[in-house]
Amino acid sequence: MLPELSREEILRYSRHLLIPEVGLEGQRKLKNSSALIVGTGGLGSPVALYLAAAGVGRIGLVDYDVVELSNLQRQVIHGTSTIGKLKVDSAKEKLQDLNPDIQIDIYNEPFTSANALRIAKDYDVLIDGTDNFPTRYLTNDVCVFLGKPNIYGSIFRFDGQLSVFYAKEGPCYRCLFPEPPPPGLIPSCAEGGVLGILPGTIGTLQATEALKVLLGIGEPMIGKLLLYNALDMSFDFVNLKKNPKCRVCGPNADIKELIDYEEFCGVPGHDHGVDGSAGAGLDIPALDLKNRLSPAGNSKLILLDVREPHELQISALPNAINIPLGQLAARLTELDSADDMVVFCKAGTRSARALELLVSAGFKKVKNLKGGINAWAMDVDQSLPIY
Amino acid sequence: MAIVRFPALMKFYVDNQSEFSVTGSTVKELLDNLVVRYPTLKTHLFDSNGSLRRYFNIFVNGVHIRELNGMDSPLNENDKIILMASAAGG
Ligand SMILES: [Zn+2]
Repeated sequence: MLPELSREEILRYSRHLLIPEVGLEGQRKLKNSSALIVGTGGLGSPVALYLAAAGVGRIGLVDYDVVELSNLQRQVIHGTSTIGKLKVDSAKEKLQDLNPDIQIDIYNEPFTSANALRIAKDYDVLIDGTDNFPTRYLTNDVCVFLGKPNIYGSIFRFDGQLSVFYAKEGPCYRCLFPEPPPPGLIPSCAEGGVLGILPGTIGTLQATEALKVLLGIGEPMIGKLLLYNALDMSFDFVNLKKNPKCRVCGPNADIKELIDYEEFCGVPGHDHGVDGSAGAGLDIPALDLKNRLSPAGNSKLILLDVREPHELQISALPNAINIPLGQLAARLTELDSADDMVVFCKAGTRSARALELLVSAGFKKVKNLKGGINAWAMDVDQSLPIY
Repeated sequence: MAIVRFPALMKFYVDNQSEFSVTGSTVKELLDNLVVRYPTLKTHLFDSNGSLRRYFNIFVNGVHIRELNGMDSPLNENDKIILMASAAGG
């Protein structure tokens, strides 16, 4: 039995009730339905706002971050007044203001193999709004094991991807990506940037797919993938089939339960988990670098900035050589492997990769500025902005 | 010549183009020609055994090459090839 709508709800949802594909019965279906949104960031913001406004009866939010100033360029569910608050609390407040008739369940914890099945089992659909590979593989496997649709979206700079992975009727995320890329290869939004509107575009498409699945109308993107580019305003659709060799949903699947996804992907299950460290004694803290550069310190020290040229306009260190990471392999001849060298980028991720390259090319006296130029701006030169 | 579409995060290696024409009568030939033109792409696309890395997917006119003939899938004039990489951002 579907729940009835109150007089207020009938007025609130009247524009839905006018559409024959939704109507009173569809709206009651939505009231009876539930969606779990994994991540309350760029994608999770529009998904949560629109599903709440649309009247999905119960919405779950999983996140353990707090709202930061640098989130607000795209994470529109939060606001300047909620900086420093838990994202799930900030989001819940906004959603209950938008629609007090629905239930919001919050999970202020990382989504992990230990809690994911328990959290997800009572929801009709999952929406993947996470910012890292371990949680994406986890969300996929949870959906395969529980037989639930996974409304997938991902974003980078001007590019977005959208699909509905539903192993009962089509391929899953692992059918498409059997293995994650090696750690550090694919930059995160924190490292590579993202157009603030892009999660709005992809997130509202995810919300649309979620509603279609919950209502059982239209043609959900099962077995189809959208590749969107905002600069060209191009929408490319490709077809996806189940991968017969898929290790979670194929006929010979050998993964039968949740695994250790951080180990599988070789990275922590959160975007800013990379602490800008190269490890193995290869790091130099910003304050130590300051001493090395002082007149009493070592005479010759090369500073190598591996950021993109446009980032130098935000902050820069004097006398640093700029060779972007992507060009480093081809431009090694411009450097002397006998020199003392400190490599840096924004936060230490790209420079750690540069260091691997340099060490394998025979450079022995290279160090990584731990935490990048942002750490320098925090600890040494407070006149520089942090970005 | 077929038209190849590149993911944003690989544009850097191909003179910041997102779409351009490459010759080749099969997917493999096309990728080989691509790597000749942009040598730094090689280690990004292929592992040490010369196999396409598994976090890339290739589609010819919207169909995964797994459904066609893999790397030997034939190409025709003006076919649209999409090279797609995983992205985690959210
Ligand atoms: Zn699968």
